[in-house]
Amino acid sequence: MNVRDHGGCERFGEDAAPYVLDALTEAERGAFEAHLQDCEGCREEVASLQPVVAALAAAVPQGQAPSPLKDSVMRTVAMEAGLRRRQAPGQDGALRGRPSWSWPSWRVALGVAATFALGVVVALALSGGGTGGTRLIRAQVTFPRASALLRIEGSSAELDIADMPQSPRGKVYELWVKRAGAAEPTNALFTVSSTGRATVGVPGGVRGVKVVMVTAEPQGGTSVPTSSPVVVASL
Amino acid sequence: MLNPLRSAAGSRSGSHLRVLADEELMQLVYRGNADAFEVVYDRHADAAFSLALRMCRQRAMAEDVVQEAFLSLWRSGARYDRSRGSVRSWTLGIVHNRAIDALRRKSVRDRVTIVQEGIEEKLPARERTEVEFARRDEAREIRDALRRLPDEQSRVIELAYYGGLTHTEIAQALDAPVGTVKGRMRLGLAKMRSALGEAAAEVSS
Repeated sequence: MNVRDHGGCERFGEDAAPYVLDALTEAERGAFEAHLQDCEGCREEVASLQPVVAALAAAVPQGQAPSPLKDSVMRTVAMEAGLRRRQAPGQDGALRGRPSWSWPSWRVALGVAATFALGVVVALALSGGGTGGTRLIRAQVTFPRASALLRIEGSSAELDIADMPQSPRGKVYELWVKRAGAAEPTNALFTVSSTGRATVGVPGGVRGVKVVMVTAEPQGGTSVPTSSPVVVASL
Repeated sequence: MLNPLRSAAGSRSGSHLRVLADEELMQLVYRGNADAFEVVYDRHADAAFSLALRMCRQRAMAEDVVQEAFLSLWRSGARYDRSRGSVRSWTLGIVHNRAIDALRRKSVRDRVTIVQEGIEEKLPARERTEVEFARRDEAREIRDALRRLPDEQSRVIELAYYGGLTHTEIAQALDAPVGTVKGRMRLGLAKMRSALGEAAAEVSS
């Protein structure tokens, strides 16, 4: 049987196993972590045992997390996300001052992954997304839980909306495009599904378009917006 | 071609994010994206709750642990380091730490009793996807590897990992020298490492 010795370390070698099992006292843990800085044998021992401990975490009988738990977690998260946006529009205020974080492989995959909160372009190279690739633009949405993504392939585009409230009674959502001047109406009038979803093509495509937006308008649509936009995607 | 955006239809918020890998979602979580966090939650909450319930054996306590763990993940997403393992392992590590904190407020005797209740299948579970089937198979495999250890080795590992006992508390509970307890932990984990390594090799060969 190939059972390793304890990293060849006489002094601390026996602590690697209780360390990965989180069974050292606080004082012992501190001392062992300081020791790890200098002892390659113990570092290797810890690294080789950690996958076993990760397996123990996954070895328990699998059940289902209660739904109210998610509701409770997401309420707090939504509230804090809103707070962050208000504190620092355009960037994640709660994270200001943190050291920059290096994520090379992800940055390569996603291209420019900057200030997401303001609906900045996320050039997402979806595999097999067509000859010219697919560009995804995250739109600003006024409803906290809702989200919208503009998916562009060549000059055509679709707006994919999730968790949007139903349009007010007697009204429908209307899609608009802006080129140089005022918003131009499109013939895309829509409502969202019972789960708040809708996928709407942008009639005529987005060549020359700078903004795609959605407002709630009376049935049949209007030729100029009569309410503030609820979705704004800046190209 | 399958449109990944459309294929995610029917899911809840941020459905377009569901095509992203965990590591990519964590980047968005780091930037305060609640929709990305929700996708991470949906992927790992069942495993997190299962671990917490196994350790705490009380639903209310397990729910508190999972809530604390995920809010910690939301608030400290930047600490995730992909070079140290998967998002799932990292998440379960946070859950484990939180559960240990909660357990250590209980008496040693209570914790020993909790562990003695065993790790048999007792929970209703949904089995919807092949991934979940695979995970359950893997979980059974690991439990088998743990069961095949000599009793004295599996016992110290269970008392430490699932019961939150320190090695000195285990030594007292079992009336065994501290050095012996540490040695059993090391031997047991090393044997499991070999067993799981052989199983992985069989699957890949």
